[in-house]
Amino acid sequence: MTNFLMFLINGIAVGCGFALVGSGLVAVYRITGVVNFAQGMFAVVAALTATSLLGLGIWHGPAEILAITVAGCVGLLTGLVALGKPGTPALTALLVTLAVGFLAYAVEVLIWGDHPRSMPGLEGRTVLLGVPLQRQYLLVIAITLIVFVVLSLLFSRTYTGKALTACADNPYAARVIGINVRRMGFLAFALGGTLGGVAGVLIAPLRPISFDSDIALIVGGFAAAIFGGLTRPSLALLGGVLLGITEVMIRAYGNASYATLGSLVFLITIMIWQAARRPTMHKEAA
Amino acid sequence: MTKTPLPLIRLTTTALALTTLLLPLVLNRGSLALYIDIALSACVVVGITLLMGFAGQVSLGQTVFYAMGGYTAALLVLNGAPPLLGMVAGTLTAALLALVLGVPLLRLHGHHLAFATIAMHLIFLVVVRQIDALGGSVGLMGIPGFSVAGITLADHQSIAFVSWGLLALVVLTAHNVIHSRVGRALRALATSETAAESAGIPVGRYKLTVFALSAAFAGLAGTLWAYYVGYLAPEMFPVSMSITFVVMAAVGGLGSIWGALLGTATIKIIVFWLGTAATTDAMPDYAPAVLNYAIYGLLLITVLLFLPHGVFPTLRRRIQTRLTPAPDKPTHSDPEPTAQGGDLRA
Repeated sequence: MTNFLMFLINGIAVGCGFALVGSGLVAVYRITGVVNFAQGMFAVVAALTATSLLGLGIWHGPAEILAITVAGCVGLLTGLVALGKPGTPALTALLVTLAVGFLAYAVEVLIWGDHPRSMPGLEGRTVLLGVPLQRQYLLVIAITLIVFVVLSLLFSRTYTGKALTACADNPYAARVIGINVRRMGFLAFALGGTLGGVAGVLIAPLRPISFDSDIALIVGGFAAAIFGGLTRPSLALLGGVLLGITEVMIRAYGNASYATLGSLVFLITIMIWQAARRPTMHKEAA
Repeated sequence: MTKTPLPLIRLTTTALALTTLLLPLVLNRGSLALYIDIALSACVVVGITLLMGFAGQVSLGQTVFYAMGGYTAALLVLNGAPPLLGMVAGTLTAALLALVLGVPLLRLHGHHLAFATIAMHLIFLVVVRQIDALGGSVGLMGIPGFSVAGITLADHQSIAFVSWGLLALVVLTAHNVIHSRVGRALRALATSETAAESAGIPVGRYKLTVFALSAAFAGLAGTLWAYYVGYLAPEMFPVSMSITFVVMAAVGGLGSIWGALLGTATIKIIVFWLGTAATTDAMPDYAPAVLNYAIYGLLLITVLLFLPHGVFPTLRRRIQTRLTPAPDKPTHSDPEPTAQGGDLRA
């Protein structure tokens, strides 16, 4: 039982990582209608930057925050490339973000080489209700919850957040009332970069990150986000946590090599189920 | 516009094709390897251009079918079957796999399909590593070279000619499909699936057919690749490979067979050329990889943003406008009815 609870918390923490990547996807998709393939790359950039900064002797905390800021800037740059040319269709923008990810591979390998890197997180364990838990897991869960609360407050309570939502709901109307939809799109990408960065620095102590870790992260994140139809952050969190628990349980009680298979099958099943439920959901060419 | 090709263009393409066909006689070993690589990749890219340009479906997992063809052929040949049988079986297996996977997958659209096909690729890699019969993560070694009826065709030059033969077969098939009734239906469904469906086109069946056909092209190329290289391992088929196929198709111009050939050749040659430049000098060992990713990334961004119809159709339009007398100048509005599927805009 103790073991089971330990795996459960472990799974929730892993799932929070997916949910954070997914929340970035949701933020960008809600506002721009673009599925940002470079979302996993933001996490990788933040994680690798953090390892370098820590290597330079910068303290925990400032190093992570700096790394997240770097990821935010990379997000903004990605947005500039993907949305900079007006009239780019959403699926073309997806391919552009894919290309940005490729370009990022080149830069990442150039700076950090092609070996996986890891960094220390919170050390030690705490005992909660008789279950020993690694502190890093608890930190991941706590920060994810804070991020999701802040995100929902941002969308519902602040002017910028409402403007962002307006852009997603009806870009034309938003433009009419004087919201700069393009600028909001860039803002969305910067937000996505920041959220990806948070995911990256939290995940890096749990598993080594290399330049091509973005594929696993983006697929996990997309699976989480798709759970909420790509627009609802709270469902993305639920999706991510379910996914994380599935993965850890397969690793713990089944065959470890099939762990990633769980998230992939989860992803495809949900998408096909959604498509079958709403067959007319897809949009036709304008 | 495409119905009346100008004699000059036709002459140039014939000359180009002839030169390409004779090239293996004069190339050295390294260039022959590049030549074979281009021909085999072009087989896959022609399939992608059909799938994306005509049926409007994205596949970021085409390497799965390439690998599937290779593994099937390798298994058969290692168990004593003739290579030609392996080739046919590999092609059919890839097509069959696409039929089975396509039924659920092709219900998805746009970015959903893009992610599902990447997921398919990742699942394939996990499963292959677990199957002992396929050599697991180590892979299959000592795959015999290609031979037909006792004549060995395993040297670089012969494989180069065979690969070009396969590509010719693929191009001919694709050309016939495009100019058939099915091809017209496909063009219709690329523009609007709903409209095509109400016009009585069996959209689902046609999409599935093109998916299977593109998989067959990839599988066919994969079989020869297995005979040529002599070993197969999961590491040889990374996800980035599937993406580079799409890059080649997009650069050449979606929905254009010549574009697929040109796109593949251009990118492979640039990468090869810069790759050799990177290895000869006192460069770090990861330099070729860095260059590789940078080239694919930059090319894809540039083409998608500035030449959305691809290099080849744009080039052809320019030449045609210049060569055609002014009165019946082709309109600029939509010269490539096939260039981009409806899903690309969804």
